[in-house]
Amino acid sequence: MHMNLRRNLIWYLFLAPAVIMLVMFMALPLLQSLELAFFEWNGLRPREFVALENFEELFDDRFFWGALRHTLIFAVFSTIGTVGIGLLLAMAISRRVRGAALYRFIFYLPVMLPMAVTAALWVRMYEQNFGMLNVMLRSIGLAHLEGTWIASRETALGSVIAVAVWQFSGFPMIIQLAAIENIPADLHEAASLDGISEPQRIRQLTLPLIRPVLISISVLQFIFSLKVFDLVWVMTLGGPAESTSVLGTFLYKEAFRKQEYGYASAVAVVMFVVIFSVTYVYQRLMRVEAVEF
Amino acid sequence: MQAERFAIPRILKRAPGAAVTALLLFWAIVQVYPILFMFLTSVKTDKQILNAPFALPDPLLLDNYAIVWQGDRVSQPFATFFINSFSITLGSLAILLFVAGLAGYSLARGRFPGNAATQQVFLLTLAVPVHVLIIPMYFFMGSLGLRNSHFGMMLVYATLGLPFTIILMRAYFLSFPRELEEAALLDGCSRFGAFIRVVVPVSRGAIASMAIINISWIWSELFFALVLLDQPQVRTLPLAVAGYRPAAMSSESVLGQQFAIMSLTALPLFVFYFLFQQQIRKGMTAGALR
Repeated sequence: MHMNLRRNLIWYLFLAPAVIMLVMFMALPLLQSLELAFFEWNGLRPREFVALENFEELFDDRFFWGALRHTLIFAVFSTIGTVGIGLLLAMAISRRVRGAALYRFIFYLPVMLPMAVTAALWVRMYEQNFGMLNVMLRSIGLAHLEGTWIASRETALGSVIAVAVWQFSGFPMIIQLAAIENIPADLHEAASLDGISEPQRIRQLTLPLIRPVLISISVLQFIFSLKVFDLVWVMTLGGPAESTSVLGTFLYKEAFRKQEYGYASAVAVVMFVVIFSVTYVYQRLMRVEAVEF
Repeated sequence: MQAERFAIPRILKRAPGAAVTALLLFWAIVQVYPILFMFLTSVKTDKQILNAPFALPDPLLLDNYAIVWQGDRVSQPFATFFINSFSITLGSLAILLFVAGLAGYSLARGRFPGNAATQQVFLLTLAVPVHVLIIPMYFFMGSLGLRNSHFGMMLVYATLGLPFTIILMRAYFLSFPRELEEAALLDGCSRFGAFIRVVVPVSRGAIASMAIINISWIWSELFFALVLLDQPQVRTLPLAVAGYRPAAMSSESVLGQQFAIMSLTALPLFVFYFLFQQQIRKGMTAGALR
C-alpha cells in the first residue's frame, strides 16, 4: 500500500498544478456564486442573508425575462443561420469546385476576427447616415430598404444576430465539410451508378451520414451562442431600451454597474443551470452518437 | 434510365453548377468585403471616409496608425495595449501548456486511484459557462492583489483553457511511444526529468498545435479583461477597441483611427491564420468533435 502510494505520488504531483488552478479559479468561484445568490450585497457593507429573495425578485423582473428571451432568440437564430449557411457552403465546396481551397480559406477568415473587432466594425457598417450598409443601399437604388439597424428597438436584435451569422458560419462549414469528405467515395460512386440524381443523393446519402455531426455542431453552436456577450456589449450595450440585452450583459450590468452583487449572482446561477445542463446532456449523448460505414 | 438522363437539356444540367458558383462567389464577397473595407478605411482621412466610402484610399495614408500607435487625447498609446495583449497571450499559453502537459501526461500514463474520476471532473468543468465565475473572481483577484495585473490575467486565462487542453494532451500522450521514456528512466532520469528532457522535445509538434488552438481566443477575450483590468495602462487590445470613442465634449472625428485600431487588433491573428491555416482548421475540427 505504502509502496503504491509512493509510486503514484509522482503522478499526483504532476496533476497538482492543474487541480490547484481549477479549484482556485473555477470550483471556488462557482461555489461562491451559488452562495452569494442568497445574499444581498453591494460590495462594501456586510452582506445580508435574504434566502430566496433574489430569485423571487428575479422571476418578477421583466428585464430578466427580456434578457432570457433575447438570449434564446439569439441562440436559436444564430445557430440556424450559421449551421444552415455552413451546410450549404460545405455541400457546395465538396462538389470539388474550382478554387475550393480559396473558398475554404475565405469562409473561415471572419472566424479569426476578435469579436470586439467584428462588433466595432459592424457598428460603423450599420451607422445610419454614413454607414456602409445604408450608403450601399442608397447607391444601388434600394433607398427604401435603408434601416436604422442597431439604433432602433425593432431591428436591433436581428441586426446583431446577422453579425453573428456573418462571423461564424465558417465554423460549422469547416466541421460539416470534414464530415462530408469523410464519407467514403465508393458510396457516392455506388449512388451515381444507381442513377440517383444529386438532390436525391444529398437527401438519402449525404444528410443521413452527416446527421450526427450536424446535430453535434448545432448543439455546440447553440451552447456557444447562449454565452454571447462581446458582440452585444460592444455593439449596443444591450440597448436601445434593453432590446438586445442578453443574460451575459444583464449579469454584467447588475454586478458592475449597479453593484447588486447578490442579485447578479442569482442571474449567474440561472445561467449556470441552463448552460450546464444543456452541455451536460450533450456530452452524455455524444458518447452514443456514432455512425458506422 | 440512361435515356432519361440524356434527355435533360444541357443548360439544365449546367444550372446547378452555375448556382453553386454563384452562391460561393456571393458569400465570399459578403465575407471578405467588410474585412477589406476595414483595412482600406484605416488608411483614409475622415473626410474621404465620409465623402467617398467605397473609393480606394488616395493617397494611402498611414497617419491614423501613427496617431493611435503613439496615443492621443482619446486614448493611451496603442503600443501599450499591443504589448499588454502580446505578453498576456504569451504568458497564458506558457502556463497553460506546461500545466496541461503535466496533467495530461499524468492522466495518460499514471495508473493511480482517482484517475478516471479526475477525467470525469475535467469533462464536467468543460460545461461550466465561465461568465458565472466573474463576481467571486473579481473580489478574489482583488484580495490577492491580482486585479489589474497581467500575471493575474495569465492565471485566469490558463485556467479557462485547462479542461479542454488537458483532455487533448491526454489523448495525445496515450499514443506516445513508451519506449522513449523507459529508456530515459533506465538511464537514471526521474519521471519529471524524462518528461522534460525526452517527452516534451519529441512532442513539440503536438504542443505547438495546442498552442495554436488557444491563441485566438486568448488574444480576443473581452469579458474577463473588461472586469479584471480597469486601469487604462494595463488594458488589452479588445478592450481598447471596445472603448475607443471621441473624448468627451469634443466634436473631433476619429473614424480613421477607429478603423486603424480594429485593423491593428485583427492583423496579428490574420497573419497567424495565413501561416497556420491547416493546423487551425484541423484543431477547430478536433475541438468541436471532442
